[in-house]
Amino acid sequence: MSRFVRKFRKWTVEALDLPGDLVFNLPRLTLIGGKQLYIENHRGVVFFSPEQLQLELSHGSLEVEGSGLVIKEILPQEIVIEGRIVGIKYRGTEE
Amino acid sequence: MKSPVFANLRGVVRIVVRGKSIELLVNELTKKEMQVWDLKPLPDGTMEMNIQLADFFKLRPLLKRTGCRISVKRRSGIPFMMFRLWKRKWFVFGFALFIGVVLALSSLVWDIEVEGNGKIPKEDILLAARSEGVYPFQWIYRLPRQDELSKDLARKLPGVSWVGVSRTGTRITIQIVEASKPKEQELMNPRSFVSTSDAVVTRIYVERGQPEVKKNDRVRKGQILISGEQGGKTIVAKGEVRGTVWHEYNIEIPLLRKQKVYTGEKKERGYLYFGKTAVQLTGYGKVEFEKSNTLTKLDPLTWRSFKLPIGWMSEEIMETTFIELAISEEKAKNDGIEAAKRDIMAKYGTNSVVLSQKILHEKTENGKVYMKVHFEVDQDIAKELPIVQ
Repeated sequence: MSRFVRKFRKWTVEALDLPGDLVFNLPRLTLIGGKQLYIENHRGVVFFSPEQLQLELSHGSLEVEGSGLVIKEILPQEIVIEGRIVGIKYRGTEE
Repeated sequence: MKSPVFANLRGVVRIVVRGKSIELLVNELTKKEMQVWDLKPLPDGTMEMNIQLADFFKLRPLLKRTGCRISVKRRSGIPFMMFRLWKRKWFVFGFALFIGVVLALSSLVWDIEVEGNGKIPKEDILLAARSEGVYPFQWIYRLPRQDELSKDLARKLPGVSWVGVSRTGTRITIQIVEASKPKEQELMNPRSFVSTSDAVVTRIYVERGQPEVKKNDRVRKGQILISGEQGGKTIVAKGEVRGTVWHEYNIEIPLLRKQKVYTGEKKERGYLYFGKTAVQLTGYGKVEFEKSNTLTKLDPLTWRSFKLPIGWMSEEIMETTFIELAISEEKAKNDGIEAAKRDIMAKYGTNSVVLSQKILHEKTENGKVYMKVHFEVDQDIAKELPIVQ
């Protein structure tokens, strides 16, 4: 993605008040209680154990902590995690 | 989310993956759009997951690339069930055969019932039904439609005004309403009516024929009452003539009457019988009665309403004796007159009416009452006389 395109998109997002996940492929997290977590726009699993799940994102990484974690479903863009979720760490690298 | 129904339809394999870079394998799988779900890491560093049976066979190259190994933990879904069933194919075959036989037998006509026929024999109706394709062991689906069947049967059976055919399960009921025919008239010879005895006519009613007498006419025995010859033609006379007739009765009644009575002494015998052979079981010994009556009672073994030829027969031998009863003259006279009245009813018809009675003469002699009684009776006096041409 060229610099110009990125800038143009950023401008449209701000000007038209569009959600960032649609335009920039930014990750979108939906947490239901401490039990279920939907993550859209992920880039694959880095590490997975019952206590910890590390996901790669388009810009940065995501760390989910808990116990008895299970990947309920995994699709190229989407992942559903179940278990007792106690912490989510987001390490973004986008500007 | 995944639909477990469709996944089961195509077969699901639960596998355990060993190796260092399991995450890499998972990423590769998702990139290739091979569905995996319910991934569960185990404490020993392995990971359990579900995979579609079709995708399972495409795993090999990926495993080689990522250096993982798998073992199968569980198989579920229709393909595996079919495989297990195939191992017991004779059982499956028998089960299918059983279902098939039950279905086949329940789609046969087993029983045909005929209701409401009085004059038309059942066999005729069944024969007509057979020619319409309704008979035992016929396929139910080959039966003609019920309204058409009713119509055709009604046309085939003479003397029937309505036929209804209904089916409940494997039983067919043919209901019949017979046409009521007018009564057939008896063929009769031309005839006249003549008097049975000397009488005075009290009532004459002629339906057909020529009346020859009037009410209150005196008629002689054999005189023509209603003639069957009318206008030179002979016809069957029809009608009723009543008249007053005199009857004289000589009655004698004994004043002592013998009557048989039971003394109350009795002896019982019990037999077991098979068919026509009976074996005495109880009540042996000589019967010391001078005169006796024997009462036999059969008590066969029954099953529902069916009597078996085996059972218990009991015999009661009851002593009887004669006693002599003296009756009064008055009672003897009454009894005699009643007996004579009964005799009149028996001889001249029950519609006879005794108009009056008169004792002409009576005497008591040698323990008997002798009477001569005169009765005036209103009775039917017409008697048929064929006309010979």
